[in-house]
Order: sequence, then structure tokens, then C-alpha cells
Amino acid sequence: MSAVVESIDRIRLIAGNTFLEAVRQKFFNSLLLISIALLASSTFFQQFDFGTGELKFITDFGFGALFFFGSILSITATTQLFFNEIENRTALTMLAKPVYKLEFLAGKFLGAHMLMLCFTLVISIVLAGMLYWRETELMARLGDEFTEGRLIRYGDIFIFGFLQWLKFGVLAAITLFVASFSNTNLYTIVVSFFVLIICQLQYIARDAYSSMEAGVGSWLVKVLGLIFPNFQLFNVGEQLVFNVEQGLPTVTLLQITAYALVYTVAFILLGQVNFRRREI
Amino acid sequence: MSIPAIRIQGLTKDFSVGMRGLKLRAVDGLDLEVGDNQIFGLLGPNGSGKSTTIKVILGLLEASVGKCEIYGKPSHTVDARRSVGFLPEAPYFYRYLSGRELVRFYARVCGVARANINDQVDSVIDLVGMTEAAHRRVGTYSKGMLQRIGLAQALVHDPQLVILDEPTAGVDPLGSAAIADIIRELKRRGKTILLSSHLLAQIEGLCDRVAILHRGKLVREGRVDDLVQDELSESLVVEGLSEAGRAAVAQAITEHGGRLCRVEKPRLSLDALFLNEVNQQESARQQTEASAPKEGGLE
Amino acid sequence: MQSPLSQHPLVLRLRRISVTCAVLLLLGVVLRPVESPAWTEVKAGQPELNLQAVEGALGQGLVLGVLGGFRTIMADFTWIRMNAVWQRRDRAKLDAMIRLVTTLDPRPEFFWVNSSRIVAYDVPHWRIDEEGGYDVVSEERQRDLDVEQAEQAFQLLARAREFHPDSPKLVLETGQIYLNRLKDIPNAAKWFLKAAEMPGAPYYAARIYADLLRQMDKSQEAYNYLKQLHQTLPDDPYAQKGIVLERIRNLEDDLKIPYLLRYNADQIAPVVNPSEQTYPFNEL
Repeated sequence: MSAVVESIDRIRLIAGNTFLEAVRQKFFNSLLLISIALLASSTFFQQFDFGTGELKFITDFGFGALFFFGSILSITATTQLFFNEIENRTALTMLAKPVYKLEFLAGKFLGAHMLMLCFTLVISIVLAGMLYWRETELMARLGDEFTEGRLIRYGDIFIFGFLQWLKFGVLAAITLFVASFSNTNLYTIVVSFFVLIICQLQYIARDAYSSMEAGVGSWLVKVLGLIFPNFQLFNVGEQLVFNVEQGLPTVTLLQITAYALVYTVAFILLGQVNFRRREI
Repeated sequence: MSIPAIRIQGLTKDFSVGMRGLKLRAVDGLDLEVGDNQIFGLLGPNGSGKSTTIKVILGLLEASVGKCEIYGKPSHTVDARRSVGFLPEAPYFYRYLSGRELVRFYARVCGVARANINDQVDSVIDLVGMTEAAHRRVGTYSKGMLQRIGLAQALVHDPQLVILDEPTAGVDPLGSAAIADIIRELKRRGKTILLSSHLLAQIEGLCDRVAILHRGKLVREGRVDDLVQDELSESLVVEGLSEAGRAAVAQAITEHGGRLCRVEKPRLSLDALFLNEVNQQESARQQTEASAPKEGGLE
Repeated sequence: MQSPLSQHPLVLRLRRISVTCAVLLLLGVVLRPVESPAWTEVKAGQPELNLQAVEGALGQGLVLGVLGGFRTIMADFTWIRMNAVWQRRDRAKLDAMIRLVTTLDPRPEFFWVNSSRIVAYDVPHWRIDEEGGYDVVSEERQRDLDVEQAEQAFQLLARAREFHPDSPKLVLETGQIYLNRLKDIPNAAKWFLKAAEMPGAPYYAARIYADLLRQMDKSQEAYNYLKQLHQTLPDDPYAQKGIVLERIRNLEDDLKIPYLLRYNADQIAPVVNPSEQTYPFNEL
């Protein structure tokens, strides 16, 4: 039992250190600033006088920024944090200690994941703040459209953020898996983006095979749909924030969470298989 | 018989090169034993397989053939690494941590008990002579300081075996001498030290035993004195001998069946000369500083 | 002893890739029971996208963005671009862009309502201008243009109601166009009533319906409707019960209803805010 505790302690240490290193990176800070600036620039929608539609615009914009910049950050930060250790040979010092390679990978992953938690939280809070401010102003101006109180369900912004964060976790684990066998930074980033696009679009192929005739093509599509995780599952913005009648059921939320966790663990373990063989 | 610190048997390590199935043999059938409480030098030119051997000992690489043990435990197990401290070649650490934070971080990774951490960290920082610079960020350290703080992190969990990969590479003679002193101190404390180097002169006076590797194969292994001594000749070092005296000595040698091969002035190594000079300057400066009245600040 | 071929790096790599794919495939199969219901739920929330309808307009690169989950943002930006087109009064492009926006993201009623307003109110004005202005174009022609454009707006709103069958806003908008643009009071009344009967309808829908009845000389019907309405209205300042009661009193005057037979507001639903009560019954 104490071995498990010690192991968790080491993972925590490596993760903490990775996180500290990550938040010091200029890249993270600039991306965070760009995202916040982008969000703030959605005040630009004011000039179109969309009425309550403006709130939808800001929400879409915020969710889009979270997804887009979050995906970039998740892939690049994970890659960078991993290759920093390899290229600077700090991994050599670390792995010469009584540390399992899986602990090292898990620590790297958690460090990157904590970074994404920070990013997601900051964006969600800024978005919620912006929406609250605009909604309050619009309520004062267009009172009769708010007869049932506020239109926005603010808690949903954080549910969306949570689900995106889970997706970033799967993405970071995929990136770590790619990094475990790749030799360069660039290769890892390119391949991970490629995988991201496939995961993002695989649902189309899946929807298509249901209407395809049975045959080689249909099987191939089916297999592809099973190999790559379905990232559209996390695209629940439609069911949140404004949708009062048909919200996201809790059971679905739990299912998506379980789905993300299993894939995250699976990709880290697959990465570990490669990493064990890797020359440090 | 006590268990050797390191036992390597028939170690061979091949690397695949490219996709055509070509293999590069970095270490070839190496047998080696490093006894407890020794300073053991692994010597050889660049690319002779020193670093690969060290990586196999540390469990960072798997042997293609053969086995390697640390105090009787297979070297690829995490358990074996509990008794090993390692300083990599040209170490690089997390730049934003202070020296002390860095050593503390590695102490925690190695599972040093919380109650002992502060004492342990202070003691190794003191041992490597970094107490004054310990609060500074690692990013501001010179190469010699990095090497020393690296040594501190390798020693912080009080390992029985310390492995140093090229500990003096790129460090000035002063720094090298300081590192050599630390290594001797470690031996005095009962540790086993394995160090690799291609700077043979620097470790000649330091190692008890050395192994020389070339193209992955063991060329020679033994006590340093045994390896470098010329069994057939002796040298006499004399002072104040006159011309006539020298002629008489030469004659006496011939009479006793010897042969005077050459007469030369003993030379100081450049390292020794440098150290001498610097040490003299340093002690002179310290004396002046001690005798000069202390400058007062504004009162 | 293994054959050298099985140790060839290419063979080893292929083996590793196949094992990885097999593991992921297995994982996909095992996770299907968790993923499938969640995906059905999530997909149900995303309106079907007729890709062929938007492909030409978007271009290949954007189609990828739309499919990749950026479709709501694409719709937002297309809407903003449509605003520029609207300012330039480019009618052909405007139609295409309205179609594009509402296809990309049919969720916001805002897109439908504002599009229908542009089609019904702005475009006839532009067309009259194109044909020489209000002085040149005959009233008959003006009327034809209004009807033509209103028809287009009704089609748009009908399509919107397919996505939002429970939205009173879209029904109300149809009524507004009948009323404001076509001055077709009977049809307007029909739509206002329909809207008023829907849950979540604004309170004014019912008031306007009653007013339209009056305009159609159906004061008795309006009176009955308002009386019934007043009983069902909640004590919410937005419900404006006072105004409804005022209208009831006006109608009672018009219809010359004897005092004793007049509507007794207190008896059925006491008015909370006395300041809104225009005719305190006990004083009469």
C-alpha cells in the first residue's frame, strides 16, 4: 500500500514540476492572452444591435476560442513539455532515480492537464463574466425579453468547460502517445493535429457507414470509427447555456466523462509501451 | 565475499540504424566488476561505449544480451536504482528552480523521509560547496556550479553507488580539482564511485581501478598503479648534484649492471602548475583581506 | 532462434502498429455501449446539416471547419457578413446568405426572425426604389411587391417553425407581418391568437388579438376573450392586468353593458397592485 502512496507522491511531484515549467512558458501566456483578447473583442458584436442574439454570439465565440486555442495548447504544450525533458536530458536525471517510466509519463500528462485546467477555467470565467455584464445591460434595455429572468444558465458554461477539459486530456494523452515513439517535436505536433482532425470528423464516416452497403468500404469505415475516439461527443454547446427545455442529461454527462477517462488512461498506457523501449 | 557494487556479465548492446535492419554495436561482450568502496574509472575515447554502459547500469537502456546487477539486484529494476546516484554528462536542470529547490525536489522524488529532507539537502549542498549559491536560480549557474549542484542531487538520497558521467568535462582545472576532492570525500564515507572520462590525466590520480573501453570492447582493466607503472625502470629525483657528482652516479650505475637511459628535468603537469599558482594567489588575497581594516558602511 | 526477418525493424514496426490498432479497436468495441447512447443524445441536440446546400456557398476549407464543430461560429460570421450585404442592398446575395446562415445554424430564432423582417419590410422598400420610388410605382404594384415579399418571409418562418415548433415568437412574427405590412387584420388576428395560446408567449400577444377583434367589429368577442384572459393572467407586472382591465372597461362602455352585469375583477382574481386598478369596483 505504501508503495502506491509513494508512487502517487512521485507522480504528484513530477506533475507539479511540469505544471510550473508549463506556466512559465511564453507560449502558454501568449495563447492565454490572445484567447482573452479574442473573447473581449466579442464586445464588437454590440455595434450590430443584435438584441439578445448578441449573447448567443458571445457564447459561440467563447466556446469556439476555448475549443480552438485549447486544442492548439493541449498538443503543443504536451509536446513541448515532453521534448524539453528529452532534449535537455532532464529525463535522464529523473529516470536514473527510483522512478518508473509510467510515473514519469503520468506526471508529464497531469502537469499538462493542470495547465489545461487553468486555461479552461480562465476562459470560462472570462466568458461568464462577459456574458453576465452584457446580459445585465441588455436586461436593463430590453426588459420584456427577460420576463422569466436571465436567459443564460451560467453553470452550463462550466459544464461545457469541464467537458472540453476532458477532451483536452484525451488529446494530451494522444500527443504523449505520439511523442513516445517520435523523434522530433514537429513530427509529434503534426501527427497529433492529424489525429485530432480525424477524431473530430470520424462521426461523419460513422454516420455514412450506417447507410452504406455492406462491403469492404463499409467495414473499413466501421473499423476507423472504432479505432479513433469520437470528439464530437464533447461538442455539447448546442444543448447547454440557452437550451432550457432540452438540457444535457446527467447520465450523458457521466457517460462522456467515463469515455474520456478510459481513452486518456488507454493512450497513456500505450505511450508507456513505446516509452519503455525508448532510448533516453 | 561481499557483493560487488556493479557486476556486468557478457553485456552487448546493439542499436538499430534506419529501416534497413542495420545494427550498430555500441557495447560488445563486456564483463566488468566494480567492488564496494572503490573509485572506478571507465575510460575511453568518445564513442567507445562508456555512456551506453552507464545507461544500461542505470536501467535507462535494456541490454541486447547479457546481464547487469547493482548490489545483486538486476539493474533494470527500480529497486536497484534506490542505491544509485547519477550525475549525467553536462547536466541541465529546471532553470527556474533555485539550487536548493532543485536538490529538494530530487530528494522528494527519491523518497527521502520528510523529517530528514532539510538536513539531507543542507548536508549535500555543503558537501559540494554550494551553500552560498544555493538560493540562486539554476539558470544563473556556471558550468562548474551546475556540475556541483548536479552532484548534490545525485547524492541527496545517500546512495551507496554514485555514477558520474564525464564529471569534469568542460569544467576548469579548479572546478575539476574541487570535484576530485568531493569524490575522494565520498570514498572516505564508504561510497562506491563509478566515473567515466576521456580526460585521462584528470582521473589518473583519483581512481583505484580503471577499465579502458575501445569500440565497445574492454581493452584493459586493473589497478591504476599496476597499469601505468613501468616495471623495468626506476627514476631517481635529485637536487644540487654537481657535474662531477653526476658523472660519478652514471659510472656507479654502469658498474652495477644498470644503464642510464636519459637525464631530464622533472616536469610539473600544467594542471598542477595552474593549481599551484591559483592557490598561492588565493591565499595571498585572503591574507591581505584579513589584515586590511574592514570598510565601514555609513553609520 | 528467431529468423532475422522477424527482427527486421520494418516488421517490428508493422507489428507494433497492428497491435496498437487492435488494442484501440478493442477499446472502441468495449466502449461502444457507453459512447453510443451519449452520442445519440448529443447528436439529437445538433440539427441535421444538409451539407450539399451549403457546400457551394462555403468552399471546401470552410466545410471542414463546419464539420469540425465550428458551425455555430461560421453561422455567426456569415450573419455579420450578411449585415454588410444588407447595407449594400444586394438582394440576390442576401437571399443566399439568409439561407446559408439558417442552414448552418437553425437554432437561434434570432436568425429566422430578423431574416424574415428584412425580407418582409426592407426588401419591398428597396424594390420600389429600384423601380423608381414611391412616386413612380403605382400603389397596386407596391401592394404586389409587399405581398410577394411577405410570402417569402412566411415561407422562411414556416421553415423556422419546423425547427422550433413550440416557439411563439415565430408565430407572432407571422402575425406582425400580416398586420404591419399587409394590413390584413383577419389573418393577423388568427396568428396572434395562435401565438397567445402557446406556452411562453408574451402577454401582449393576447391583448393585441383582442384589439384586432375590436377592429374587426367583434367587440363582444373581444370582451369575452379579455374577461377570460384577465382571470387567467398571473399577478406579474409584465402581465399588465391593469391594462387588460382598462380595455375590458372600455369595451363595457362601448357595448353599453349595465353596471350590475359588468365584469367583477375582484371576485375571481384579486388584483395585487391597486395602483394598476383603473376601476376599483367597490367605488362604482
